[in-house]
Amino acid sequence: MLSRKVWLVTRREYVYNFRRPSFLFTAFGVPLITLLAMVVVVWITAERETSLDNFQRVGYIDRAMIINPAVANPAGYFPISDPTVPMPVETSRGKLIGEYFDGLEEFARQQLQNGELDAYFVIPQNYLFSGRIDVYMRRNMPEALRSGIENFMRAQIASRAPDTLPVPVKRLGALEFVIRDEETGEELSEAAILGRFILPFLLVMIYFMSTSTTAQFLMSGVVEEKENRLMEILATSARPAELLWGKLLGLGALSLTQVLLWAAAALVIRQIYQDARAFFSGVEFDPTHLLLIGVLFLINFVLFAATMLGIGAAVTAEAESRQIAGFFTFLSVLPIMFVGTFFNNPDGALPVFFSFFPLTAAVGLTLRLGLLGGVPAWQIALSLALQVVAVLAVMWLVVQVFRLGMLMYGKPLTPRTLWRALRQGSVTLTTAPADAPIAITGRRKGLFRR
Amino acid sequence: MNASQTDLAIAVRGVTKKYGDFTAVDNLSFEVRRGEIFAMLGPNGAGKTTTIRMILDILKPDAGHIEVLGGPITEATKARIGYLPEERGLYHNVRVLDMLVYLGQLKGLSGAEARARALSLLEHVGLAENARSKVKELSKGMQQKVQVIATILHRPDLIIIDEPFSGLDPVNTEMVKDLLYEMNREGVTIIMSTHQMHQIEEMANRLLMINRGHAVLYGDVHEVRQRFAKNAVIVEGEGDWAALPGVVVVEAGENGRDVLLRLAEDVTPDNVMAALATSPAYRIQRFELAVPSLNEIFIEVVGGVRANGSFGG
Repeated sequence: MLSRKVWLVTRREYVYNFRRPSFLFTAFGVPLITLLAMVVVVWITAERETSLDNFQRVGYIDRAMIINPAVANPAGYFPISDPTVPMPVETSRGKLIGEYFDGLEEFARQQLQNGELDAYFVIPQNYLFSGRIDVYMRRNMPEALRSGIENFMRAQIASRAPDTLPVPVKRLGALEFVIRDEETGEELSEAAILGRFILPFLLVMIYFMSTSTTAQFLMSGVVEEKENRLMEILATSARPAELLWGKLLGLGALSLTQVLLWAAAALVIRQIYQDARAFFSGVEFDPTHLLLIGVLFLINFVLFAATMLGIGAAVTAEAESRQIAGFFTFLSVLPIMFVGTFFNNPDGALPVFFSFFPLTAAVGLTLRLGLLGGVPAWQIALSLALQVVAVLAVMWLVVQVFRLGMLMYGKPLTPRTLWRALRQGSVTLTTAPADAPIAITGRRKGLFRR
Repeated sequence: MNASQTDLAIAVRGVTKKYGDFTAVDNLSFEVRRGEIFAMLGPNGAGKTTTIRMILDILKPDAGHIEVLGGPITEATKARIGYLPEERGLYHNVRVLDMLVYLGQLKGLSGAEARARALSLLEHVGLAENARSKVKELSKGMQQKVQVIATILHRPDLIIIDEPFSGLDPVNTEMVKDLLYEMNREGVTIIMSTHQMHQIEEMANRLLMINRGHAVLYGDVHEVRQRFAKNAVIVEGEGDWAALPGVVVVEAGENGRDVLLRLAEDVTPDNVMAALATSPAYRIQRFELAVPSLNEIFIEVVGGVRANGSFGG
């Protein structure tokens, strides 16, 4: 159970830092700007989508053989026909018919590439069952083209149903379009593909932005308390561990608030922007993976934040703390700097190493989970074990540094001093005044003040 | 000299604190009685702050034993202490009231209690209008008063205050002094560490002078001054001072008006006063015993120690 003082420190740190302009900007400003940008993009896209200027020649290939020639084609729509390929007779075997349509598709592909066609769509053989239409084009699909093809198909189906074609009623509703790669024929949802690569990266970036902001607050808060000599008053009001945990929890909650605000913004964007839905569907983390990612980020936050807290307690000025913090931040962003290696081979040596190194493990594993969809269980277990050990070790060390460094004004806590104190086992808030031994030599008398 | 245990606010017994090879406090013992104003003084680096930090359990002594408010210090004891360190600070970007409430709550007050008490004290020192100002918007003197409020907010039984008057103008000095007197009248023990000797002379009941980790003077302020009194008188007026019976040396005062008359061993100030009263050759405007100020005692003691090196660390 949280002690009252831990709760007081937690609440103070949360409220104070929540009101900081830099936090308000990062937490609210960034999602707001993203939302605005999305609205602008939607508006521009909507403007563009009303125009069909770029789609004057739309061909189609009817593999399902359901097109009724009696129904007039809309303006610009025509069946693909290759004069060099003879049309098979109705009694031809399936293989021959298939080859005929393959030839037509190849012909259409060439026409698309040559610019003789603006788009073409294929009604697959299994259309009646799947309801899917494959659309090929070199530009993004405008909404107008989508509804144009839908109207075309409805008119066709309506002309034959219900007498000669067992068409389910739902076929008269919206159609499902599959945009395929013109070269490989692979199903292609641009936003989904983008999401697949970008989402894990985006997740990691959001995590970095939120933790770096809060860890920075954490560190500068301790430095401020040291610089302002408030630490001594606080030290007589609460135990170092209470202060430490209060700060960690307060800023951890702040970090979570930030992530939740961004998640809410992402949901709003997802609602108002169609492509965003596809984008978010690009990666499907199963619930176990999501839980794992949550745990990984939690452990990493404690590790990173505790490190920053230790740095804040060990140094004497904010500028100095930033330099040292920069080194640890550099270590933790290494997976981002080498993100290319994750895309090339998520199981490569470097991505695997990043999955084990405690400061980079959360990011490394998340990227690999997103790109691979799964990581060997033993690697996850080993990585978690290493991280937990690292957290325990760092927390222990930080409590010592916190106790040792919190009263050292004007003199940074050097690794040597820390090591000596740890070896003597006398880290009970004991610290030499900045200059005690110097006073004996009399060289820097001005510093000798207590 | 020794009071019973229940009468003691603090008992420091044989305490030593070393930093590596440097002995900051060496086998120091003293007591602070409940309800008194106790002064700690000494040159820079004497060991005052180390001693205070050990009393507050911020530092652990290497040897010796400390009791605070009737026993070893605990978290509960800490809540009964108000501490204002010498190099003090505040959260600059926070509203005065919010900060006071936070610090009060850390000392065990409820939110409402801390708020009510902070507002009342702010009004007491004339800062009611600044309750919602940010600390950085206050003048140095105002900040000093806020710091004093933070120290006494939770109605401590013991106040330890380092240089309580530094940075304050005379008006605010009086205000803070009155506040401390008021607390003291309510039974609060006050320990102050200061270089302002005249404040100790005026306020403190007893004192401890530390130099290089050792107690060099300890006891009732009045007694200490008497102990250092010379067999001499200070006079101001007209006449041939050297001709007075029993006067062996005449020293002109620094202000050019008074003179210090050092007396022979068998002569008392009363003898000199009687002689002056009966002789028409002298006109007296001022006559007083040459009791040294604490400042003079401080310089004499610390200077003497430095000169003969008898208190090496």
